[in-house]
Amino acid sequence: MVKMLNNYLKINFCLLLIIFSPFVQSAETLLTKITPVRNAPEFSLQDLDGNIVKLSDFRGKPLIVNFWATWCPPCRKEMPSMERAWQIIKDQGIAMVAINVGEDEDTVFTFTADYPLSFPLLLDTTGSVTQRWPVVGLPTTFIVNPEGKIVYRAIGEREWDMPELLNVIRQLKK
Amino acid sequence: MLSVNKVFTILLLTFTSAVSVASQTMTQNQDTKLINWSLIEHGLHLQLIQRTPDQTRGFFLGRGFSNAVTNDIATQCVFQTIVRNTDKYSGKAITLPLPTWVVHYQNKSQPIKLKEKWDSQWSTSEVAMASRLAFRWATFPTQQTFEPSGDRNWGMISMGLPPGASFDLTVKWQHGDQNHSATIKAMQCPADGQNAK
Repeated sequence: MVKMLNNYLKINFCLLLIIFSPFVQSAETLLTKITPVRNAPEFSLQDLDGNIVKLSDFRGKPLIVNFWATWCPPCRKEMPSMERAWQIIKDQGIAMVAINVGEDEDTVFTFTADYPLSFPLLLDTTGSVTQRWPVVGLPTTFIVNPEGKIVYRAIGEREWDMPELLNVIRQLKK
Repeated sequence: MLSVNKVFTILLLTFTSAVSVASQTMTQNQDTKLINWSLIEHGLHLQLIQRTPDQTRGFFLGRGFSNAVTNDIATQCVFQTIVRNTDKYSGKAITLPLPTWVVHYQNKSQPIKLKEKWDSQWSTSEVAMASRLAFRWATFPTQQTFEPSGDRNWGMISMGLPPGASFDLTVKWQHGDQNHSATIKAMQCPADGQNAK
């Protein structure tokens, strides 16, 4: 009787594994680890308030760098989750910037009327910074470690406020 | 009665066959009437969705392109393309080299019209830098590798065919170190003047 019950439990366990394994996403399956790590290309870009923001300003803390455009549907889709993530991490020693590719200040400013975002939005109006980073499509997001090296990459939209994903970034803190 | 080992084997076989299943589907959006061709095979999930010439005109006029250039792009059979790596099991990347794709139209074969070819035919005065940037990022990368970490991308692809043309498309990709190809039959460029709504 005990043996039968054991077998029954084993089968049920296998079934559950099989049914749910495609839906279980660990952080490692949400971000691509960059090996070997490479230096993040320096940038010096203007934000919507006219301030110059540099990559080196963030040295010493993990940094999320998102490349996007207002006309890019998946970029728009992930922006609310980026804002939610920012509200969680902004006081935890983690920085976030979104670099707009090729659009002007007015276009991005108008966009923020529909998508209220409180993290820095930087303007790469000539696309020259985007060209120096390993961006293939929009959106692409990089995680830069406190030493200024790119350690993770995500191509396409993600739910940035997922705890598993944020935990990976928290682990980069010194 | 089946033993545990037999049941486990059956479940494993069911599981592995489900993973390697290939499918091609064609669906029509009931609201927009636009057709979506979908291919799921060997780690690749590819969607090719019709874009009406008017949709494409709207996008590029809004990005600062002239009427003439916009019309040229819009009338060369543009599809919205969405690609995902669906391989969560073997951990293999997929790579799509667009230059290897083949359009079969009226008994002839031709490559798809790549973004580099579009860009090279425009003079500096004809298309401003900001517009070129928008074109570059709104069109699908000529070659891209998708890691199995949820990588996905989207972008427009031009088949270089007239509105209303019917064609077959041979798609090629790599899954890990294996080369694969599949032909999607009877695809259709949307006719000009057809509205998305």
